[in-house]
Amino acid sequence: MTFIAKTLKIILLSFVVFMFFIPLYFTFAVSLSSKARINEGVIIPDFYLGNWLEIFGGFGYWRNGIINSLIVSTAAMGVSLLVSLPAAFVFTRYRFLADKHLFFWLLTNRMAPPVVFSIPYLMIWRGLNLWDTHYGLVLAYMVFLIPLTIWILAGFLSSIPKEIDEAAYIDGYSTFTLFRKITLPLLKPAIGVAMFFAWLFSWTEMFFASVLTSSVAKTLPAQLLTALGKVGWGIEYGPAAAAGFVSVIPGLILLYWIRKYLLRGFVIGRL
Amino acid sequence: MEKTWLLPPALIVTGFVGILPIFALLNYSLQTPFELENKFVGLDNFSKLFKDYRFTDAVIRTIIFAATSLAIQIPLGLGLAYLLRGASKLNAFISSLLILPPLFPPVTIGMMWLLLTRSNGPFGLIFNSILTSLTGEAYNIYGNAVHSFATIILMDVWHWTGLTYLIFLAALSSMDETYLLSARTEGATRWQIFKYAEFPQILYPLLFIILIRLIDSLKIFDEVFILTGGGPGLSTEFVTQYIRTMSIEQWIFGYSSAMSLVYLFIIIIFCWLLIIGLTKGRGILE
Repeated sequence: MTFIAKTLKIILLSFVVFMFFIPLYFTFAVSLSSKARINEGVIIPDFYLGNWLEIFGGFGYWRNGIINSLIVSTAAMGVSLLVSLPAAFVFTRYRFLADKHLFFWLLTNRMAPPVVFSIPYLMIWRGLNLWDTHYGLVLAYMVFLIPLTIWILAGFLSSIPKEIDEAAYIDGYSTFTLFRKITLPLLKPAIGVAMFFAWLFSWTEMFFASVLTSSVAKTLPAQLLTALGKVGWGIEYGPAAAAGFVSVIPGLILLYWIRKYLLRGFVIGRL
Repeated sequence: MEKTWLLPPALIVTGFVGILPIFALLNYSLQTPFELENKFVGLDNFSKLFKDYRFTDAVIRTIIFAATSLAIQIPLGLGLAYLLRGASKLNAFISSLLILPPLFPPVTIGMMWLLLTRSNGPFGLIFNSILTSLTGEAYNIYGNAVHSFATIILMDVWHWTGLTYLIFLAALSSMDETYLLSARTEGATRWQIFKYAEFPQILYPLLFIILIRLIDSLKIFDEVFILTGGGPGLSTEFVTQYIRTMSIEQWIFGYSSAMSLVYLFIIIIFCWLLIIGLTKGRGILE
């Protein structure tokens, strides 16, 4: 590499590091600052621990939100994968009437903005007594999770050669044993990736959560909206910043857990 | 071996949450529901829509936003993935820095940038000093439409470049090196290697990330709602924000349903064109 290219690389990378580091540092500093310090502009925090104590103790407001978020996201991730695995298998292994159109229709559900569906959901969910319950929120999240997980899994499945299936059928495997003993182990990387994306989008979702819940099943992002003074009480930047950092932790753990799958097997299929 | 019965669970659930609301919206869009007088108005709501400059402007604004933001974050993610390919401590540090933003809820991202771009926040101070020395104008996202729009694009790039980077990094590291070696021995230039040996191999991840990012950019709401709330004036009001104002705030539900349906249709058309364009007409499912 020439000298100029190397210098350019160093300049570009330091700029990127600077731009990405500042907001993260700053938000962390906000979470460690008292209200007065936040208002006069924080560069160096005054190490006020009240915000973090409020997240884990306080009146249990934030704690409930974190617990609700954990319940809803875990359930949404689990259900969407459970339903998507067989569907993705069928989409890649069999040809049937209008299969491509059906697949595209599934994807169109990922495209619907929450604001479009939230009012119909509100009406239907109230009628079915699903409003402000964990079940209701999980069901609403299926609209963007199932298409996404099917897409990721189908992409990866189509890169697994069909000859493996044929060999298994000749050995007398039923479709179910083939799926359980051969396809599923091969599919591990894609399942990891699908889990990560399902978690990411259900954990950070705010709009459905703010419309479809009010107190019992209110998740963390919806509570953040309240705390930022957009709906309900006053503006609480400090606790909101601390809650933001807390909300990153599960995603990081999941990412660390699936990292080898991500890097080894992110083929998400071929074309 | 007809195993298509494995499909119904997914189809029933998605059908329930995906088709039922469409019919509800169609039903609402032909009436004036939840208003003083609920009457059938036929296609009036739809014809009103195309004369509503606030709506058409919001659509154009959203598309400009999505196109600009994608045109920055996709090449940036790919470039960073190329630069940070090797395994070293520094690369791992930069990677983890890039991957953090997508894990935050968008609401938090909006709050971060709200505090960052205030006149006493770090970015507010930096941008202000750069802008005043260059143009003599003070940096103000609540008064200047251009500053506000540019800040939202920067925020979106900051938020999602990590994800594009992650996917490109994974795609590059699982690439089949034999093509590259043979291309190199044939004496191909760096650009030719990228175009003929590397690009076809990252096409699927590329399609995946472009589609996901395009869809989410057209759906953007949370961050903008916190940061500018659509202001100054209507200069950062995206379609989702306008629909929310009409439905949840003003409760003009027939009209906002018509708007929702038309906007959903626009998004689907855009994504369909993109899929057809990138896969040369074959579609996602081969």
